[in-house]
Amino acid sequence: MKQETNNEMDLLLRRLGRRDDALVPEDHLDADELSAYAENVLPAAARARYTMHLAECSRCRSLVAQLSSSAGVVAATDSAAVPEPSGFRKFLASLFTPMVLRYAAPALGLIVVAAIGFVVLRRNQPGEYVARNTASDTQQQPVASPAASSSGVVYSLSNPTPSPGQFDDQRKDKNQPAQPPPPPNMAPAVTSVDAEVAKEKTKDQPKPEERTTTAANEPPPVKSEPTPTPEQSPRAAETEAAKNEVKVQPAPASQEGRALRGAQREDKTSLARAKKPADAASAPASGAGAFQVDGVDDAKVNIRTVAGRRFRKQGSVWVDTAYDSSKDAVTLARGSEQYRALVADEPSIKTIADQLEGEIIVVWKGHTYRIR
Amino acid sequence: MNTGVEKLFEEGAGRMLARANDNRSLSREAMVPRISAAVEKYLLKDDPDIPHAEISKFIDELQADDLCLIIACERGDENAWNDLVERFTATVRSAARSASKNEDAAEDLAQSIWAELYGLRTRKDGMPASKLAYYSGRGSLAGWLRAVVAQLAVDVFRKQSRLVQTEEDTDLERLARVAEGQPIVAGIPTPEESISNRFAQTDMQQALNQSVQELPAEDRLLVKLYYFDNLRLREAGAVLGVHEATASRRLTRIQTDLRKRVTKILVDERGWTQAETERSFAEVAQHLDTDLESLLATKGTK
Repeated sequence: MKQETNNEMDLLLRRLGRRDDALVPEDHLDADELSAYAENVLPAAARARYTMHLAECSRCRSLVAQLSSSAGVVAATDSAAVPEPSGFRKFLASLFTPMVLRYAAPALGLIVVAAIGFVVLRRNQPGEYVARNTASDTQQQPVASPAASSSGVVYSLSNPTPSPGQFDDQRKDKNQPAQPPPPPNMAPAVTSVDAEVAKEKTKDQPKPEERTTTAANEPPPVKSEPTPTPEQSPRAAETEAAKNEVKVQPAPASQEGRALRGAQREDKTSLARAKKPADAASAPASGAGAFQVDGVDDAKVNIRTVAGRRFRKQGSVWVDTAYDSSKDAVTLARGSEQYRALVADEPSIKTIADQLEGEIIVVWKGHTYRIR
Repeated sequence: MNTGVEKLFEEGAGRMLARANDNRSLSREAMVPRISAAVEKYLLKDDPDIPHAEISKFIDELQADDLCLIIACERGDENAWNDLVERFTATVRSAARSASKNEDAAEDLAQSIWAELYGLRTRKDGMPASKLAYYSGRGSLAGWLRAVVAQLAVDVFRKQSRLVQTEEDTDLERLARVAEGQPIVAGIPTPEESISNRFAQTDMQQALNQSVQELPAEDRLLVKLYYFDNLRLREAGAVLGVHEATASRRLTRIQTDLRKRVTKILVDERGWTQAETERSFAEVAQHLDTDLESLLATKGTK
């Protein structure tokens, strides 16, 4: 409606303009006034006075119009009437310019898709471990116990001796009732980083009721025996090691756990049969701690038991005796992110990896890992 | 003029000479009359009691270098004159070209301008009657020169038009005498003329005329620039010192305002009803629209 009324007025004014027969005033603006008006540099009062003249004088009006055009005077003084958009609005407006919409928007879309793909791919790999660990935690919780409390007596000399504090961390982490308290002079072979990771692991422990159920199947916790000191005789150390092994042996719930237990018994037998005084001499340095590296070398040193798992050396590879070649193995490199994620959940695997140099195939909680 | 203002002029002249890149070795005394004339023309004429601060601000906004150059030229400084010609020959030629029909006319106009500026005539006081005396320094020297060229071009054109008009008038008078006593065979009015004649008689046109005259000066100027002078909005905005969009908005507001004014005049003074006014607006606009379209179509076929 308003547009229509304005159109009507527009037509009427155009007709009026064609019939303009107004008298031209005698006096006109001089060149200085014309140019000053056209350049919009006059004081307000003087400008208003000249505006009144221009409204009536077509001659001066045409001159001012001509001068304004040639002077290129444009609206500098009218910034209030036509407010400049703010910086933010300018920025927003620039985002929707044709050029941006034509080129930058598709490019941005590609970047977003690539970023999402990258994130999804990155998440998938750790997700595998988490899923497996979570599933196995409830089923095979006891498996860690024999690993932690098995009675290895042979240790690698290169294995560093952790501090008791670290052991405490690990104990909290494993939360195994059968774990004997660590002897002050025999600490697990874990690093401080592992201890930190183990703290985190406590958050992922099974719920209390699950743990209770598991504990019901396990033998009651056994108080750990005094740790033999280095001053004790080799024979006494050997005896103590054998005792510890018997006492802390839990009852694994899984088949793998049973297999492991059988392997440990085999180790014990071989220990009783083939233990040498030299081997026994190293026992005090290891003891039967939950996270101690339990290694037993056979006569040819081709079989070792570490963290409750028995490994056979095949070529340059330490292969878990429970390894089933028909199962797929997850290959990990030491130090890789996947490896760190795994050992964060399963510190015992780190113990194994630290103890056994070279490539290792370890079966852990139903999964097979090839660690290089 | 009181001594306080005169002191302002002297101080202002001193500041101007100081800030000019080339003050042409002019003295304050040479500058003061020019500054005084500008202040009188653009400030004191509108407000004799204007604050001194405003006067000082006005003086400090004058074009120092341009004013010094012009005053030096006026005082017969040959170097200044050479500088003026060298710097502004292109400007004058360009302005003359745009105001002239052809190159020859433009060259003639440009030469006339330099003669006017140099002052071939002599004033009563013996000084050359130069147009340079009218430059105040408020606008740019280039703009002023363009204005001088445009004014001179208009004057020349009007002289020529007046000459042609006189001849035409003589012819018309002769024709009128020949036709005297004979029945007037009125030409068939074009549709435009027909509706125009009818429209001219209407109350509405008178009301519209009156309403336009009652508009504020700036609005009236915009209406004149756009509807009477047929300038584009950008050009009209440039005259008013506003953006094209602002000019457009103002014009829309003015149209609405004019409609209200016309309606009020017709209702209050001519006894129209509101409905009659609205109907008349629509009818007149429709007639004009149809008329213009047919006129354009007729012109297009010719």
